[in-house]
Amino acid sequence: MAGLRRCDSFMVVAVVLASCFAPAAFAATKEYRYTVGPHANISVDTQCGAISIKPGSDNLVVVTAVFKSDNVEVDQQQNGNRIEIASHLLHGTDQQNGQVDYELEIPPDANVTLRSSTGPLSAERLQGDLTMEGADAVVTVRKIENAHVHVRTMRGSITLTDIRNGHVEIASISGDIHLKAVTGLSVQVSSGSGRIFYDGDFGSGGDYRFITHSGDIEALVPADVSAGFRAHSVLGRVQHDFPLQPRHSRFSEEVGRSFIGNAGQASSEVVLRSFSGKIRLKQR
Amino acid sequence: MTCSDVQRALPEVLDSSPNGTFASEFEDHIKGCPDCSDLLSDLKLIASEACQLAATDEPSPRVWLGIASQLRAEGLIRDQAPKPVLVPTSIGRRWGHRWSALWLAPVAAALVAAGAYVVNHKPAPPVAKQQTPGTSAGTSAGTNNEVAATPAVPPAPAPAPQELAQKSVPPTNVVQPVVEPEPSADDQQFLSVVSTRAPSMRATYENQLAVVNADILETEAYVNRNPGDIDARQHLMDAYQQKALLYQIALDRIQ
Repeated sequence: MAGLRRCDSFMVVAVVLASCFAPAAFAATKEYRYTVGPHANISVDTQCGAISIKPGSDNLVVVTAVFKSDNVEVDQQQNGNRIEIASHLLHGTDQQNGQVDYELEIPPDANVTLRSSTGPLSAERLQGDLTMEGADAVVTVRKIENAHVHVRTMRGSITLTDIRNGHVEIASISGDIHLKAVTGLSVQVSSGSGRIFYDGDFGSGGDYRFITHSGDIEALVPADVSAGFRAHSVLGRVQHDFPLQPRHSRFSEEVGRSFIGNAGQASSEVVLRSFSGKIRLKQR
Repeated sequence: MTCSDVQRALPEVLDSSPNGTFASEFEDHIKGCPDCSDLLSDLKLIASEACQLAATDEPSPRVWLGIASQLRAEGLIRDQAPKPVLVPTSIGRRWGHRWSALWLAPVAAALVAAGAYVVNHKPAPPVAKQQTPGTSAGTSAGTNNEVAATPAVPPAPAPAPQELAQKSVPPTNVVQPVVEPEPSADDQQFLSVVSTRAPSMRATYENQLAVVNADILETEAYVNRNPGDIDARQHLMDAYQQKALLYQIALDRIQ
């Protein structure tokens, strides 16, 4: 019995010692609040870390910064209706040790610019213009209306869902790009080696251009889509399983490499271009 | 004077020669600190090299005017905008650590300009429509429109007089294996800055740069063989824009 008690004591001491000497998982949280007017401009820039944005109250910006290290500072300033927040690595700190994650609640009509090398970056339910940039950041954008959405990544994948009446510009060097229910007057998407996948109806009156160098392009559309299509891959395969009406075009058609035709009233114009990737238009 | 003081003062020191006690303290620190000394010499080299970039292989003034008018039309620049400088003279301290990569901006712009120049100045002989016999814009209509690929079947160009003499030329859309491109001087400089400012990212940027350069080379080779292919020309422009995008992302991220 005494032996058991001694063993328990040893274990307690061991646990206490272990907890003292184990590297502590640093995490500190700071909150910043700013009062703003309509259409505020908000910029958040972090070298390493996540940034997520949600709508909050109409005149208040709430920024919660979660520090994963004490080797990084947050520089923040407000000039009138403009707010700038940036992580600042202290001397000798590399990106991995300087992570700061941000969560923002902002007025829905605010214009936002987010930058993070690692990401992820996410934004949802906003109506202001949105710019998101990150080398390796995975970018997710949901439920944006009547706004410009500009996204640039190097390798990070990009997913846009439920973007209505947007002016959309997406560019990636090798990241995949997924668009679901994205419509607008102008939707320009380009990737070098990444794949572009679109699932939606191309809205009405819009100009859609999807371009890759070697990445594949696939568009999944409903039977009642109203769009004029032009697809061409210089070296890749092009196919569609969709009943297209012939249309006059200054571009010639080459079997297996391109197709041109209209569906419905052709109220939107859709151009799918790739240098060596495959292009496919499919009926949902 | 500490290393951090020196780094903050570097933009002003490079832009104008300091004097007084500040200059002597700065010099003393540089003499005694190999890190800061190396950094200063690297930055001087970059600044001087960047100044020479504009003088090499500059496209015609028409290209620059075209870009300027396009940027003006899009509201991105104004006539009275201040002249861009490679080394800004007054950058807020908070943002001062970014200045040294600013030379990438004109390089990125030059890439796009070079792309436009290359695309627009390729000789384009009179080329008939590349249309496969039996197909027209209307043939894809109807329900049986799943088109299978026809690999290695070259387009059948109409026999233009210039092309009749070149009948023995092999199929033009067969892509030869692309040789791994050598990094250009700009690329070397770009990678050198990445190595200095963000060594852990060098491999990533180097890989992406190699991919983008390979895309440019591949497209350029195709355009050379098919100078009348408008889409291929556009893809060449797009490939240059991808490279400019890579530079711009680096510009934003390298600190």
